[in-house]
Amino acid sequence: MSQSAGTTAEPGLAVTLSELYRLLRSTLRASLEGGLERGAVLRQMYEIGNRSLGFLCIVMGFMGMILTYQAGLQTQRVVPDLSLLGATFLELLVRDLAASICALMLATRVGAGIAAEIGSMVVTEQVDALYMCGADPIKHLVCPRFLASLGMFTMLVVLAACVAVATGTWTANAFFGLNPRTFLNLSLLSAPDVIVGLAKCVAYGAAIPIISAHAGLTAFGGSEGVGSATTRAVVGSSLAVIVLNFLISGAGYALFGP
Amino acid sequence: MAEAPPAATLAQVSRQTEPADASASLSELFGGVSSMVAVVGAEGVLLSRILGRTVRGEVDRAELTRCLYRMGIRSVPIVAVTALFVGGIMVIQAAPTVQRYGAQGLLGWAAGFGTLREIAPLLTALMISGRVGANNTAELGTMTVTEQVDALRAMAIDPIGYLVTPRFYGIVLTLFLSTILADFLALIGASLAGRVLLGVEPMVFYNGLTGGLLGVSDVLNGLIKSVVFGGAIALSSCHFGLATEGGAPGVGRAVNAAVVVSAAGIFVLDYLISFAIP
Repeated sequence: MSQSAGTTAEPGLAVTLSELYRLLRSTLRASLEGGLERGAVLRQMYEIGNRSLGFLCIVMGFMGMILTYQAGLQTQRVVPDLSLLGATFLELLVRDLAASICALMLATRVGAGIAAEIGSMVVTEQVDALYMCGADPIKHLVCPRFLASLGMFTMLVVLAACVAVATGTWTANAFFGLNPRTFLNLSLLSAPDVIVGLAKCVAYGAAIPIISAHAGLTAFGGSEGVGSATTRAVVGSSLAVIVLNFLISGAGYALFGP
Repeated sequence: MAEAPPAATLAQVSRQTEPADASASLSELFGGVSSMVAVVGAEGVLLSRILGRTVRGEVDRAELTRCLYRMGIRSVPIVAVTALFVGGIMVIQAAPTVQRYGAQGLLGWAAGFGTLREIAPLLTALMISGRVGANNTAELGTMTVTEQVDALRAMAIDPIGYLVTPRFYGIVLTLFLSTILADFLALIGASLAGRVLLGVEPMVFYNGLTGGLLGVSDVLNGLIKSVVFGGAIALSSCHFGLATEGGAPGVGRAVNAAVVVSAAGIFVLDYLISFAIP
């Protein structure tokens, strides 16, 4: 029977981080050099953005409903006054949850997709063929996905946040009788929240394609290797999202205060 | 140079090339919906087969133990790291509200209900779906494309009883136990972050937690969710693993599809359970 689809020798954390840093540097340098294939970035933007839209809307729609319902339920237990429910919900969404939940979802979808594609190209020796033609695989494979992800990620997060707000408003109205105008209360939102949220969008949009491309490029061993690369991409991207969330939230708290 | 084929998920297998007009887009939309329904139906059939094997006792025990070790024990580090960080994040997010109202005593309650009811089951399920679910699909997918599953059938060994059922129970048990661990560690992470960021003493945090606003029902709510999420992850990964076709790229597509369907299923089930069991 086939053994578990794992690598023979897992490289240590320090080695992986240094490889990721080098990949990020090469990708940035190749992007700034120009000379990308025509339409490559647009095609990847379609793959990453348009094809994830339905999935993301479903997930964020349910997320908004769940969040509002649970928060309302608990607040009713303690302080039977739901007037600030919408305000806190909106602040939490903009500051943290919209970017992070979207990032986790996209880490599974986009991360797995990038690693699967690049991994199967590595395993079927297409990347070696690229090297033979004197082309740089990083410029042709990784850069379009990196730029597309950076561009589409923020847009997806904004749209998904709107969907979550819409479903949250409906939930508050349907289950707690809260007036939409009371719910859609922007009083607790301020510039630091938006800045932290956008910083997270950019960080996640950069981290996910780099980690997934790295996992794909280090695939080996046939179909088992592709499966292993996809797993590593999803796990690595999810962990990176959580750690970056912690770091950026902490930095935001330290810089801008509560 | 060769262009990589677009990573079409198995759930979008009915998708054709560029839609030329509105009616083609509409059929694409219905194709998407019908393939979603097909996936849910296939998973339902798989579930009924698994339950049938369980009732008849045709479960391979050695394989079950092996699965529990590989999935459960090897996932502990990632669950632990995630839970600690998530506890810290929750306190950071609650910090403005707590400081605005001076409600240090309620920090334990706020972190507690969020963690126990929602965040711990959800994030543990997402992490385990990414790690165990993807690995499982990759393994089953590789076995399918290299015709090992057909070889099992040729030897009159039932693949569902031998391969799928142990993995199903392995994943469900893993998720149940990991959620308990994640609950515990997330609350520890939250209390540490509360101490460092807000100066809330651990005793105050503990009192807020056990003061009477939270109960066993909250913990049970989270655990019921974790079992259901485990079922969703297991069914999705086993279905897409066994339905893989197309060699190495096919395995990659199958893993992608399995992980996406698991995540969507987790959120939908989370919502349904939240409303069914308030």
